[in-house]
Amino acid sequence: MKKAFALAAVSAIFALGACSDDGTSNTTITAAEITTTAAAEAATATNAWARTSPMSAEMGAAYFDITSPVDDALVKASVDMSVAMMAQIHETTMKDDGTMGMQEVDEVALPAGETVSLKPGGYHVMLMNLKAPLETGSTVTLTLTLKSGATLTVDAEVRESTGM
Amino acid sequence: MKISRLLIAPVAVLAVGLSACGSDSDGTVDANTLIGLQREDSLQVGDVSLPDETTGATGTFTTKAADGELLMVYFGYLNCPDLCPTTLADLKMAKKRIGAAADVVDIAFITVDPERDTGDKMNKYLSSFSDRFHALRTTDINELKVAEDKFLAVSRVIKNDDGSIDVEHTASAYIVDSNGVVIDEWPFGIGSDGMEHDLWILLKGLK
Repeated sequence: MKKAFALAAVSAIFALGACSDDGTSNTTITAAEITTTAAAEAATATNAWARTSPMSAEMGAAYFDITSPVDDALVKASVDMSVAMMAQIHETTMKDDGTMGMQEVDEVALPAGETVSLKPGGYHVMLMNLKAPLETGSTVTLTLTLKSGATLTVDAEVRESTGM
Repeated sequence: MKISRLLIAPVAVLAVGLSACGSDSDGTVDANTLIGLQREDSLQVGDVSLPDETTGATGTFTTKAADGELLMVYFGYLNCPDLCPTTLADLKMAKKRIGAAADVVDIAFITVDPERDTGDKMNKYLSSFSDRFHALRTTDINELKVAEDKFLAVSRVIKNDDGSIDVEHTASAYIVDSNGVVIDEWPFGIGSDGMEHDLWILLKGLK
């Protein structure tokens, strides 16, 4: 019974995940175009956002789409200490019994030219021990480090949810 | 239409999920079919009562909707940055899109991490997602497990050697009617669109 339920939940994620990819195809294409015209110069991160944190929450999450022109991996994310004590790259996964949990991951693979989305229910940058609530309309600057040593910064807009 | 076997539910969910993207060529989208899951033997949760730590509340709250209303029950914790706020924000957005008709959708948030989630923190947290909610919290783990069993939900709080705490929990949201019956289960990932779709159907059936 529980196994079936877990399968159902996975299917839902898959189905709706596929849907939202379609829904954001415009922006995804734009990111790919930028990468192409940038001709293997640097990875790009787009559509970055962080969720508004409720007054009493100590943890926050940030999401973005990232594309590298060459095979690489996202290995580290950091934020200014004035935002949060620490940032880690986490993955939300489902266990056999249908429960879901998060683990820190060593890296997120970035196959050449492929846009990898960090999004709710999957990978996210966890902002730990927030210094202050993340307020809608503000911006959180993330510094991302890749396995190749390259770094990029991305401004994540703070908003309530994924967007329209 | 009622999905009679849980095993076929993924197929139904997949079909609706894909059709929602705009390809309705096979006509599987049914405005009257719930996207969430229904069990052949519906979960009966009308006898689950937990201490209600909502500001101003006293005693316990029983997980069933008031007459003419719907109740969304969710097992979560406040230090959850991904699944819990996504689910609550999605519901907020779905209710906003529906408008006043969705005012009858109440929320019961049951913390699976009662040691860290105080009633005060829960009230502050939940008030950012809804103006009506019930903050349910028991420090009696057996009482929590009994409640979870009724929903076929599971949770674990794991204290690691390095001092960090991992929490694992069933991330479904349950829609309960005024008879205490779970009439719809939303797996994580259903999104605000899916919630809105189901709520329209369920609200229509409230009369």
